[in-house]
Amino acid sequence: MTAAATAPASRSSGLVALLRAQPIFGPLAALLLACVFFATQTDRFLTGSNFSLVLQQVMVVGTLAIGQTLIILTGGIDLSNGMIMALSSVLTTGLIANSGWNPAAAVLLGLAVCAAIGFINGWLSTAIGLPPFIVTLGIYNITWALVRNYTTATITDVPDSLLFFGNTFSVGSTQITYGSVLMLALFVVGWFVLGSTRAGRAVYAVGDNPEAARLAGIKTKWVLNAVYTVAALSYGVAGLLLVARTGVGDPQAGQSGNLDSITAVVLGGTSLLGGRGQIMGTLVGALIVGVFRNGLQLMGIGSTYQVLITGVLVIVAVSVDYLSHRAK
Amino acid sequence: MATATSATPGKVLLEMKGIGKSFPGVKALQGVSLTVREGQVHALLGENGAGKSTLIKILSGAYSRDEGEILFEGRPVAIRGPEDAQALGISTIYQEFNLAKDLTVAENIFLGQLPRKGLRVDWEAARQRARALLGRLGSSISPDAVVSTLAVAQQQLVEIAKALNRKTRILIMDEPSAVLGEGDLEHLFQVVRSLQAQGIGIVYISHRMREIFELADEVTILKDGRYVATKQVAGTTMDELVRLMIGRDLKDAYPPRQAQPGEVVLEVKNLRRAKLVHDVSFQVRAGEIVGFAGITGSGRTEVVRALFGADPHHGELTVSGTPYRASSPTEAIRRGIALVNEDRKAHGLFLKLDVTVNTTISALKGLCRLGVISRARENALVQKMIQDLRIKTPDARFLVLNMSGGNQQKVILARWLSLAPKVLIMDEPTRGIDVGAKSEIYAIMNELTARGVGIIMISSELPEVLGMSDRVMVMREGTIVGQLQRSEASEEAIMKFAVGGEAGRGAATDSTAARR
Repeated sequence: MTAAATAPASRSSGLVALLRAQPIFGPLAALLLACVFFATQTDRFLTGSNFSLVLQQVMVVGTLAIGQTLIILTGGIDLSNGMIMALSSVLTTGLIANSGWNPAAAVLLGLAVCAAIGFINGWLSTAIGLPPFIVTLGIYNITWALVRNYTTATITDVPDSLLFFGNTFSVGSTQITYGSVLMLALFVVGWFVLGSTRAGRAVYAVGDNPEAARLAGIKTKWVLNAVYTVAALSYGVAGLLLVARTGVGDPQAGQSGNLDSITAVVLGGTSLLGGRGQIMGTLVGALIVGVFRNGLQLMGIGSTYQVLITGVLVIVAVSVDYLSHRAK
Repeated sequence: MATATSATPGKVLLEMKGIGKSFPGVKALQGVSLTVREGQVHALLGENGAGKSTLIKILSGAYSRDEGEILFEGRPVAIRGPEDAQALGISTIYQEFNLAKDLTVAENIFLGQLPRKGLRVDWEAARQRARALLGRLGSSISPDAVVSTLAVAQQQLVEIAKALNRKTRILIMDEPSAVLGEGDLEHLFQVVRSLQAQGIGIVYISHRMREIFELADEVTILKDGRYVATKQVAGTTMDELVRLMIGRDLKDAYPPRQAQPGEVVLEVKNLRRAKLVHDVSFQVRAGEIVGFAGITGSGRTEVVRALFGADPHHGELTVSGTPYRASSPTEAIRRGIALVNEDRKAHGLFLKLDVTVNTTISALKGLCRLGVISRARENALVQKMIQDLRIKTPDARFLVLNMSGGNQQKVILARWLSLAPKVLIMDEPTRGIDVGAKSEIYAIMNELTARGVGIIMISSELPEVLGMSDRVMVMREGTIVGQLQRSEASEEAIMKFAVGGEAGRGAATDSTAARR
């Protein structure tokens, strides 16, 4: 009803308009500003090897956040993702180390179990109509118990083949981790699927207005089940990256994976209400957290303050997003 | 026509002078004036996007004005927020009601100010006062009824009672009739007249000319955010108002129809839905518009939702001669049936997504190769739709949220036309849409039927039913109670069926209860 209907988007000037048209610019600008800031504070920041380190540090949470983005775009949330990741890592390493499985078979089974748990998340949300928050909270606890039931000891006897994604290759003088390349590749796949396929459109439509999506002919339950299942596969991959990075299968891992991944998604400008956001924003969001932790570390600021600043960042980022979308 | 009481103009309550308001990149209002008197119904008229909503939002404190002044009883006032408006006695009833659906009628009326006896709520007093307030509106809704169980018309009365309780002196009603069926309308008119008699000044927004001539004393016309004119209703004509509003004559509100019905495209036999629809049977032919009339809650929406597979039901359906099971909207679409919903915001649009996504969402299968969307084909389709339907949008990436009602409705139409449906169901196709966009939608309907599409049109506006339908089905209490050919249909004939021969108007309003 407002007269904005007749106003060409290009004419509404200023930063607000730019943020609305290209929401990824906000997080990207924040990331660049952070980089500029840290570059002026310490000369160890602006080096290829340091950037490679940041990438390697965010590859696990970044991969977790891919699935979380898909789910949040549908208007849901996943509290269980860190636990599914932990299960993937201990199950895969345990099958190889304790039960003598072939590594490839163990990886496939680990991923399949993750997918199954993801499907259960989706099914409980769609078939019974429970809120995803409750379902995934329950699955978080159940999966935690499954992990502890399987092993309470860290699995250290990990074959080299599982450590591949922790290895590096050289570009010039910079060492790059294969795992971070895998994460970037998965983001590109996610970006393509969400932006250019029918399935991606369905995700946005269901997130924006599930009833309208159903009445537009989209099989909404099917879409949600698929999203939770695919998301859990990304958690399974995150589990494998965790093993590659740490060299062990750790039953204590992943307990804050849910909140860390949500932080990345939110910093990337995706709305928790569903239907609005971009997966590349999540990558930028994960990098923002990574750059701040790394930069503050280099400046000699302790981890307590790193966490504190992450908290401030989330609130500032969401405030900016909120204010730019509130037409007044 | 003009029976409104325009005899003695009351004391001036409110004057808005030279009001201006800008949003980033657009002037929503410029130099708009409005004067409201005690006991006067002042209609606000204009197409969507003319600035009516912005003006009343300024008056109710939802927006702040950039320019101009507001005088209340001659004194300049600042309305900085809804509290200020309330303190002055200005209440607004928006189209989307502001009711707590899970609370009772009494709780809603006294929300935040329930009468107390010591520390405890005095429920008996609350009930009595609620009953008295509703009684003033000629309604006998129980104060203990939970709002969500009430019909829309009754919820509206609760909203009005709430406003009365707040000692309202100016009541703004934003398209109060848009949510009502023909039967409930008469009661709304009575309510408005009685409020008027109590000295309340009423700002009445409506797209429907008939209401303005029946109710209003004065009418102010806005166009493109500017003040056009204020007219005494008794001294103007519908043609003049339309001309002022859209800046041209609107000779053909309903374009002439030359239907040439072909073979049966949809056959419905013994359609049933528990408690809502009983044994409904009818046919739709290619190139035909079948109108569905009836009061709100008579089961029309329920019938078409069942046909579209949106709700569980029983019955035998056939599309172009082959059996059709309406198991889901997906299946309906596959068989060439499309539904333009009654509530486009809740059930149709993806408001935060753009024109392109909204247009092609149901037709993507045909635009994809291996699940990957062909941008070229998608863009071509969207551009064609924007041109064919004359959708006003800066570009195909514009968010639907920021479009006017008429253009939003065209986007929904574009979505279904992309599929070339055999049967197009339109539930209240022009609700909340301005006159100009309305006639464009009628023209589209005619074009579609000329191409052999069968259309089912539900409408609560009788002139629309009469103007567009080749045949009219009248529903009451979940069944088809009458069928009229275009030649024999009239408002009287339809209403007689719709409210039942023996039952009066009162019974009609009551029977709409508890259906939603």
